[in-house]
Amino acid sequence: MIEMALEIIVMIKQVPDSSEVVIDPVTFTLNRGAARNVINPADENAVEQALRIKDQNPDTHITVITMGPPFAESALLDCMARGVDRGILVTDRAFAGADTYPTGLTLAATITKIGKFDIIFAGEESTDSSTGHVGPGVAEFLGIEQASYTSNSWVEDGKVYAERQLEDGVETVRMEPPCLITVLTNSNIPRNATLRMKIDAMKRGIETWTLNDIGLKPEWVGLKGSPTIVKSMKSIQEKKREGKKFTPDQMDDFVNELVSKGILKLGDE
Amino acid sequence: MAGLINAEPPANPDEYRNVMIFLESRNGELKKPGLEMISVGSAMAHKVNEILIGIVFGDKVGDMVKQAGEYGCDRVIGYESPDLKDFRTIPYATLLSDLIVELKPNILLIPATRNGRDLASRIAVRSRTGVTADCTELDVDPNGRILQARRPTYGESTLAEILCKRHRPQMATARPGIFAVPERNPNAKYESEIRKAKIKKEYLRKEIVDFKPKTTVDLTSARYIVSGGLGLGKASGFKLIQELADEIGAYVGASRPTVDLGWIGRDHQVGQTGQSVRPELYIACGISGKAQHLMGMKLSQNIVSINTDPDAEINGISDYIINADLYEAIPKLIEAIRKKKAELKKEAKPEADGKKKEVKEKAAEK
Repeated sequence: MIEMALEIIVMIKQVPDSSEVVIDPVTFTLNRGAARNVINPADENAVEQALRIKDQNPDTHITVITMGPPFAESALLDCMARGVDRGILVTDRAFAGADTYPTGLTLAATITKIGKFDIIFAGEESTDSSTGHVGPGVAEFLGIEQASYTSNSWVEDGKVYAERQLEDGVETVRMEPPCLITVLTNSNIPRNATLRMKIDAMKRGIETWTLNDIGLKPEWVGLKGSPTIVKSMKSIQEKKREGKKFTPDQMDDFVNELVSKGILKLGDE
Repeated sequence: MAGLINAEPPANPDEYRNVMIFLESRNGELKKPGLEMISVGSAMAHKVNEILIGIVFGDKVGDMVKQAGEYGCDRVIGYESPDLKDFRTIPYATLLSDLIVELKPNILLIPATRNGRDLASRIAVRSRTGVTADCTELDVDPNGRILQARRPTYGESTLAEILCKRHRPQMATARPGIFAVPERNPNAKYESEIRKAKIKKEYLRKEIVDFKPKTTVDLTSARYIVSGGLGLGKASGFKLIQELADEIGAYVGASRPTVDLGWIGRDHQVGQTGQSVRPELYIACGISGKAQHLMGMKLSQNIVSINTDPDAEINGISDYIINADLYEAIPKLIEAIRKKKAELKKEAKPEADGKKKEVKEKAAEK
């Protein structure tokens, strides 16, 4: 197999750590106040996937980009400490309040400014908005092929292969670069950075770009550039749960209760 | 392809009429998530005196077009070509975008399946409009014919209503398993049209080199689910879970840590990064109930927790709590279910023979 020098771009997002987010027992809403900011889990898998391709093709160069507030720098440094070559933070007040359309547009404009690329990786979706629209949206802005919801991908003889996990089966696709791949959460185990690599990443630092650098009009991005608006939010009324207790020796009574209340139907199907 | 261009509302949004739905298929058969959009799509269309237009792509579409009409689409348009046999992003997105330009739908619904979302993301950008993902409630405000797309957010705790007032079509993807498939009516009246598609070679650069169908564990439409967590202590614990599940005709679910440990396949995972389920009965065995798991199952109608820890978080949202070692409680529960079944059978004995036979045959099939 011929090793290739690939240009890879990984798009990431910083999100509140969902394992630290707790459900308020009274209101059933998420309390994110205390949560730390972390790399969106699926994006970590996307970074790892890119690094694995670099392991196979050592001349590969990886750039990780994010649109976010200035403190998202830490997420980029974290990726660089794991082996990513370059980190770019695209940050501007004008980006605030963006829905998926201007988010995709901003990232696509950033990638266009970067220039050459063979593969773009992104996580399947973010844990804080769960749309999965940004990755494929970027592919559309750039006019390139895409493979979404992938559990594995590799490069062979100049072609890009990806395994897509669908509801009814596993599909393997072959694409010509340039293309975009979205990576499933938990599809691999992201590597850890060593202390030395962390120090090295800090030394190298990230680049910070603003709206001016990517050449989009202010009214095209952020809230102004978003076709959708959130009209209202209401908390979903939760059913009151009684928590009736049974011991293992009361299983007959328990089954009787489930059957008599019609919760469990035995015998019909 | 879109190019680096902003979202742009049409000069005259009133020109956009009717509700369009994209019906997903595999091997010439319409899939459930697409059919589920027919009732809600047709209700919205008829509310404002419009029609529901179903779109079907495939190698041969005759049967699917008929099916879409009989399930309730007022008009069905099918595109056929050997190149459309399997879903591929670019040819599908191109054809559907062309239909949007031609028919100017006010609303476009696509199933929130993986291929559906893959497609919807690109259509929205190409049509320079917005899309609301994974909706569980859809309605139309007759005033301005505005789509009210509602989706659970913040881990299913909040329902957000999203509007796309000026851009067209107003797009949403519908979460599978939420909307009911309508009754099929062989006498339904509908208009249909089958077109031959010609796909440009350059749109066919992505090749599908392999497809391995899998027997899916579709937990989203399960009536009963028995789930296992770390409390099982070992991979073989899932045998006991399976035994209980078999006894009541349930599907087996799992918490993420058990999946990560390789005790059971990922397609059994319930929770934020797994499937979101809402069965009639959810029996959580040895599951502590971390937020990510609760997000995926707290809408279940009835929840039973079997756990040694009286303070397990899942107990807070449980209708029934069995505070015990699951290896003691589950065998006793299975025993009690068998006893109850035998009782019910006895009671049912005087009933007509036919029904009994049917039950027997079903049992024999298993």
